[in-house]
Amino acid sequence: MRAIRTFHATRSAFAIVSLAALGGCAELQTKEPEASGSRVFIANESSNSVTVVDGDSFQVIATVDSRNHATHDLAVSRDGRWLFATNLASGRLSAIDTRALETVASIATGDRAHVVTLTNDNRQAWVANIGDNTISIVDTTSFRILGTIAVGKGPTGLTFSRDGRFAYVSNQGDKTVEVIDTASHRVVKAIPVGTNPHFLVLGPDGRIWGTNTGGTDIYVIDPATQDKVGSINVGPAPQQIAFGFKGLQGPNAYVTVAGLNRVVVVSADPKNLRILEQIDVGQRPNGISGNREGTRLFVVHEVSNDLKVIDTGSSSVLATVPVGRKPIRVVYHGS
Amino acid sequence: MWPVSRRCRMVAGGRRGGGGLAVALGLWAGSLLPGGVVPAAAQGVPVGTAQHAVGTLVVVRTDGIEHRLQGRGALPLFEGDVLRTEAASQALIQLRPGMSVALNEKTTLKILSRWDKTGGTMRILRVSQGEVWAKAGDGARQLEIETPAAVAAARDAEVDLKVAEDGQSALTVVQGTAEFGTPFGLCSVRGGTASVGARGAACTAPQPANVPAVVSWKQAVSP
Repeated sequence: MRAIRTFHATRSAFAIVSLAALGGCAELQTKEPEASGSRVFIANESSNSVTVVDGDSFQVIATVDSRNHATHDLAVSRDGRWLFATNLASGRLSAIDTRALETVASIATGDRAHVVTLTNDNRQAWVANIGDNTISIVDTTSFRILGTIAVGKGPTGLTFSRDGRFAYVSNQGDKTVEVIDTASHRVVKAIPVGTNPHFLVLGPDGRIWGTNTGGTDIYVIDPATQDKVGSINVGPAPQQIAFGFKGLQGPNAYVTVAGLNRVVVVSADPKNLRILEQIDVGQRPNGISGNREGTRLFVVHEVSNDLKVIDTGSSSVLATVPVGRKPIRVVYHGS
Repeated sequence: MWPVSRRCRMVAGGRRGGGGLAVALGLWAGSLLPGGVVPAAAQGVPVGTAQHAVGTLVVVRTDGIEHRLQGRGALPLFEGDVLRTEAASQALIQLRPGMSVALNEKTTLKILSRWDKTGGTMRILRVSQGEVWAKAGDGARQLEIETPAAVAAARDAEVDLKVAEDGQSALTVVQGTAEFGTPFGLCSVRGGTASVGARGAACTAPQPANVPAVVSWKQAVSP
């Protein structure tokens, strides 16, 4: 805790000295070498908004109106220029200009637009519509819907393989992850994974990691075989997964477990999945995202309506930032 | 990098007593501008009318309520409506501003829109199956027709789009030029030609088409 206070005190002192010495806004910008431009974006489902937090100072920069209802999931472009947000109640995707900090487009995708993922080249946003059992393919430049893909019941998770050849869609109703060939847009396999599968993410070794939110486990799929190659119980209602390091140890999978109010740390080796540690966080942790270096985790809590910043080296909370109501998803973008 | 001007405004606003009020009033005023309002999902403002049906046109509102048009009429249409024709039924609808759309038999479409800050509201028809003819008149905003496998965009153009059960979509341009695309590529289709968009493939190179034969079906409901 002392280290944190020192960190903030140093930054504050720097800011005060800068203001006192300069007094001009433009000059202030030139004297702020610490500003890295890293951002943390949080989808607030019950506020219909996205909170934007400075990734270094952990200060709230802005709150962006999604111009839709029940803002749920987020995907940020590789260059950080665009943020796409699904809106469950509206069945729409919001396109947010991250420089202007405003929603510049609202795109009708499908009933209960749930999750969004960008293709590896960022040219398309794929949106899973849980009410329609479809994936909408959105052109990220023209914002047109280029096509739809029928999938299983209740698509709730979506990610792409490293090489972009396959998309993975978790279907709550079918208890499967479907594999879509991105060259043909055909479902080529359905992999049974467990109860109420939800979040999916590409892991650091190219494998696909998912949570069974209706159960207690997470699982790993190997794109080389399109089979489930590991699973481990982490606690009731696992939500989302991010990856990071604890000093030399890692990469580790950090899993928000809503039923425990903890982040459970799992070794990210699918052949040797084991729980390494559990970190107490806020009420009903859901979204989690890590910085590029794997040293910071950003966790949002549905009930306590806040963001906690965790230092992976010490497994301690560095900061707690109030955000909007019912934050679901958080994504980090480095400068 | 963060724009300098934006940061400056934020710093200044936080240091002046009236800054927050001024910003709030500005935002409120901005929200009243025509370009600053997202179309509401609620079905409050009609976006067009169903004017003629040969057989029966079924209109399903977002709350599940169904209306039927047989013969001529003026049934208001709202965003989110699903329009359906059965076998041996055809229909003609008018969408604002200045767009005529005919539905062939066994057609299902949903009326949607996209809003963007630059262009305002774009009318979209999402056709899941069947066939539509559409004419976006002079000065009318672009109309987009989505299918499971492709999208067609037309301004000041007349098009026919037929959607098979597997989503394969055949676009014939009667007059003007339409943009046609799939997730795998885009085509510019000129009057008198046709292109096909299928799942997993780019649209085909436009080929000459027998346009009168393609659109002959709509004579019964022509405006």
